[in-house]
Amino acid sequence: MEILYLIYVLVFIIGSIAGLLLSYKKHMEPFIISEIDVVYLVLAIIGWFLFLNFPLLSFIPSFIAISIGLFLIGLVIGARPGYGRKETVIGAIISISIYLVFHFLI
Amino acid sequence: MYLMADILINVILAFLAGSLLLGLHRKIMARIQLRPGPPIIQYLLHSLKFFFKESSFPKTASMPFYIGIVVILAGIWVTGVIVGPVTQGSLMIIFGIYAIHKIVEHNSGSSSGSPYGKVSCVRAVFSAAGELPLFACIAILFLITGSMNISDIIAYQAVHGPLIYTAPLAAIMFFTLILTKSPYSPFAITKGKDIISGFETEHYGFLRGFIMLSESVAWYILLWLFLTIFFGPIGIIGYVIGMIVITAITAFINATTPMLNPNHSVMAQFTITLVCLVGSIVMLLIL
Repeated sequence: MEILYLIYVLVFIIGSIAGLLLSYKKHMEPFIISEIDVVYLVLAIIGWFLFLNFPLLSFIPSFIAISIGLFLIGLVIGARPGYGRKETVIGAIISISIYLVFHFLI
Repeated sequence: MYLMADILINVILAFLAGSLLLGLHRKIMARIQLRPGPPIIQYLLHSLKFFFKESSFPKTASMPFYIGIVVILAGIWVTGVIVGPVTQGSLMIIFGIYAIHKIVEHNSGSSSGSPYGKVSCVRAVFSAAGELPLFACIAILFLITGSMNISDIIAYQAVHGPLIYTAPLAAIMFFTLILTKSPYSPFAITKGKDIISGFETEHYGFLRGFIMLSESVAWYILLWLFLTIFFGPIGIIGYVIGMIVITAITAFINATTPMLNPNHSVMAQFTITLVCLVGSIVMLLIL
């Protein structure tokens, strides 16, 4: 079982490193842009959705859904400091809401 | 065969998870101080970076100790992984590991020949007071559960509920130990910024990489132990949430508390231990 947890941690770290490199390539300016990046927002929502709501996608094995989710979460959360924060929070709130709706209302 | 694979997987997991948690610790401290702070993976990248940096050795270093002590530091925390998550062995071995950790701090400081290391070396002797809460905590747990084995303590909690309710003062003692080990802790007198990086000051290159690796593993193991012996079988989600919450709490404390001077640090740890030990014994007698 620990091997799965190791894979999850590794995937998150690889996602974070990729996110850091991509973000520095995309934003070379010295200041922080406070607008929400739509691409990051979509990635964050998909990532958090896969991570928290993997049982809803029964056609994908759970560990693959969680791994992809953690990679995408890492990609956004690991962005250059100051970027990807709002997107992460919005993605997490949407996914937690979906989780709560499916677990407690349906 | 499987045991070796289990140990290897757990050590890598402890290193990676511990590094991420220490990165989170640094990030939270930065946010409290109104700085953006480095990314969460910064601690891990730092640790890996040191393995590829040039290693240089001070002329004043006592070489066998200077190198050997780092190997011992890595060795004891790998032992911590084996005794903790892998085999769920005795808490007395964990106490021994922590005692050796203090000896490592002492010898690491003295072996480099640096004055900063030497001050840290002397402070490591003082800070042995940090072991008192751990020993008192183990003694209280033994009185309650009748065992020092982590597996027995987990089994006890599965039947009687989490020990945090039965022995909250013992949990405070263990938390004090965790706080002592956290970066920028008010009790971290051996690594005070007044002595640069204390016993680590003169260790560069791959030696510093091994020290950072060991510290990540140590942080993971201490959090794992706290959650295991006070909250019982909580599952992976419980461990993840628990580790993040404890890291966040220690980051809040460390960001808002100045570092104590050595005698205050020792007396504070001693007082916390005494109050919690007497309180725990009184609670045991009454309940």
